Amino acid sequence: MMAEKKNKAVIWGILLYFLGFSLWAWTGRAKEESVTERRKLQQLPEWSIETVVSGEFMQDFEAYALDQFPARDRLRQIKGYVSHYLYGQKDDHGIYIADGYAVKMEYPLNQEGVIRATERFQYVYDTYMAETDVKLYFCLIPDKNYFLAEQTGHLSMDYPALFTLLEEKISKMKHIDIADLLEIEDYYRTDIHWKQERLLDVAEKITTAMGRFKQADYEIKMLSQPFYGVYTGQTSLPLEADELKYVTSSTLEQSTVYDFENQRSMAIYDKEKAKGRDPYEMFLSGSLSLIQIKNPLASAKGELVIFRDSFGSSLAPLLVEGYSMVTLVDLRYIHPDLLGRYLTFDKQDVLFLYSTSVLNQGETIK
Amino acid sequence: MLFSSITFLYYFLPVVMVVYFIIPSRFLAVRNGWLLVASLFFYAWGEPVYVLLMAVLVVTGYFSGRAMEKVRSLNINEYSGKQKSWDKVFFFVAVLVQLGFLLYFKYTDFLGKSFSAIIGVSFSLSVPALPIGISFYTFQMLSYLTDVYRKAVPAQRSFLRLALYISMFPQLIAGPIVRYTGVVKQLENRTHNGENWALGARRFVLGLSKKVLLANVLGELCATFKDSGDKSVLFIWIYAVALSLQIYFDFSGYSDMAIGLGRIFGFHFEENFLYPYTSRSITEFWRRWHRTLGFWFRDYVYIPLGGSRVPKIRWFFNLFVVWVLTGLWHGAAWNFVLWGLFFGLLLMVEKHCFLKYLEKSRILAHGYVLVAVLVSFVIFDASRLAETAGYLAGMWGGGDWPLLSGEAVYYLKSYGIVLVIGMVGATPLCSRLVRRAESTITGKKIIHLLEPIILVLLLLITTAYLVDGSFNPFLYFRF
Repeated sequence: MMAEKKNKAVIWGILLYFLGFSLWAWTGRAKEESVTERRKLQQLPEWSIETVVSGEFMQDFEAYALDQFPARDRLRQIKGYVSHYLYGQKDDHGIYIADGYAVKMEYPLNQEGVIRATERFQYVYDTYMAETDVKLYFCLIPDKNYFLAEQTGHLSMDYPALFTLLEEKISKMKHIDIADLLEIEDYYRTDIHWKQERLLDVAEKITTAMGRFKQADYEIKMLSQPFYGVYTGQTSLPLEADELKYVTSSTLEQSTVYDFENQRSMAIYDKEKAKGRDPYEMFLSGSLSLIQIKNPLASAKGELVIFRDSFGSSLAPLLVEGYSMVTLVDLRYIHPDLLGRYLTFDKQDVLFLYSTSVLNQGETIK
Repeated sequence: MLFSSITFLYYFLPVVMVVYFIIPSRFLAVRNGWLLVASLFFYAWGEPVYVLLMAVLVVTGYFSGRAMEKVRSLNINEYSGKQKSWDKVFFFVAVLVQLGFLLYFKYTDFLGKSFSAIIGVSFSLSVPALPIGISFYTFQMLSYLTDVYRKAVPAQRSFLRLALYISMFPQLIAGPIVRYTGVVKQLENRTHNGENWALGARRFVLGLSKKVLLANVLGELCATFKDSGDKSVLFIWIYAVALSLQIYFDFSGYSDMAIGLGRIFGFHFEENFLYPYTSRSITEFWRRWHRTLGFWFRDYVYIPLGGSRVPKIRWFFNLFVVWVLTGLWHGAAWNFVLWGLFFGLLLMVEKHCFLKYLEKSRILAHGYVLVAVLVSFVIFDASRLAETAGYLAGMWGGGDWPLLSGEAVYYLKSYGIVLVIGMVGATPLCSRLVRRAESTITGKKIIHLLEPIILVLLLLITTAYLVDGSFNPFLYFRF
């Protein structure tokens, strides 16, 4: 009798579960994109004899069923909880959470990638700067794992080996060490990047080292919407949103920015982008190959060229004060051979500003 | 289509079940017809074109079986006065067709490459992708043909039933290898009731959980080991343990799902795994591991060759043949041949020399089996033999591997709980505890109350893992 009751409970429990979720999945409205994962979601594929015979329809349908499954974000969180709290796994898709910060385990040191990056820097130097009076500087931005891995027992790249390798390979550049000014609180909890409003001391150190420091009257402003960074979607554990702040001044408000890639003028801070898929793109409109900031209030002529990754987008505005022109080049999106069409190197300050994450994947640099 | 996919769980299965149970139970032929349609759709979802291949094999098997029986009933041998046995002709032709396709799709590339290496001339043979589950359904058809040829069962008169026996989706692509003699009566008449449904559903959910919550997670650890540039002796051992557990939970999980689904539809499939890692000898291990394959080789290869009741040299030869074939069944590569031979050799030595010693010490016996199995699965998983030889040497301190590495320690900490859950789950400890709890009235009440809740929770968590992850391979899928 008791067994019969149990069987009934099992049958009804499982039936209701399956039918409930199935009906929800079948009748639910398909979403266009996932905010947390920052990507477009697969839509119901259209079938044809060709796509069915080739199996393409089935593959797309499998992707659709996964992407559009009801309560997908909640379920991913459940997975995160089980993985973290029940299994005690130390990371989730290579990301761990420590002190509320989502951190990617940058590991191991990819020596070939770093060497490749330095070879490309050397190529840029040999092609455009060898016979000029440019002054070369280099700044390395540590990733979040640099600050937390040791104390939390996570894997991290061999940072001393990375620093030694860089010193060996780019000895022509003056190294401005900013690592000692940074701490984990200078980075977003949910994103890979650093917080612009906490970089004033970093900017001061860099501009001082380049002999271009100028006091500015900065004002910090905050956007009203919460900022969910790139790691929110990459880890299934829930994360508390960050605040998105930016630093402005009368100089920055009057500066103009030109985007060579799209041949358009734009603002230093694009507040519309802050509402988009990647709010960090509000700083100089995100991933652009070549942009130029002109500072009409500059007291003296001076030009700075920054070879950079996305970290540079938030730091560059803080370097504008001492220069009449700041050019940002992202070698991941523009081949060095094309630079000669837009830039002439003579006596500029040239800063190579790269994060350890990008250097470690130096294959991405053209 | 994978059982552990959203498409199967939330699109395919509910439709199949609802329609199946809407059809009144007195119309079993209609229910069988629906199951056949669903099974063909299930197979076509992964490989649409190969449905035709399966159809050819079923048609060949069906008409050969009928022909064997027909010639016997006509007694052609006596009428013709010749000694030629026509049922033998039909049997061998059908077997050749079945094996021919298996050889072509599964072994052509391997044979070509091996021949090319032997003669030292490089060439390659272009072969289409391996049809999913071909080894399973070919073996099922061979067992049917052999049983009909041996007159153990009459040939199936209903094409629908034979087609359903071969293509039934619960066991189509990864077993267990269902013997025709075991299900023929159920194809004609079977019981559907709440108890079967509940037991089947429970088995399915537990199998799904083993696959998704253990095998896949352990698979990630194995993949991490393979990609690692920081290997060490400890890491090789962690890999060997994780791999052995992954393969076990992957395959036994699939078998559980197949058995459970079969039970829901009224079929009783044979058990495929009986806690093999608790064995005290390799002989026992193979009575507990992939039993339906072991029984198949025993009944259709080993015993026809003479089994063990032959001179010793011949017995060695019989074992050699069976274990080379067992290895090759698992994959067309030399590591699988080695894997099979490794077990064949162990069985020979064990039966001849040290089985009596193993019986004296449980700890020694368990230790020996576990180490042998760990070594065997490192061979099984080899992508390159030289690399595997390195791992095997590394397990025993050979090679240049350090004892420990940062990654080994990190991943041991990160996967430690999963490994322990896996080790405990590979023993009957949990089911014993449940049985013990059920022996008291209060315990029984608690278990009965908790079971439906736990099953639904497991379903929810497996779905969460499926939705989150993309790491979902089936190791036995392509055999």
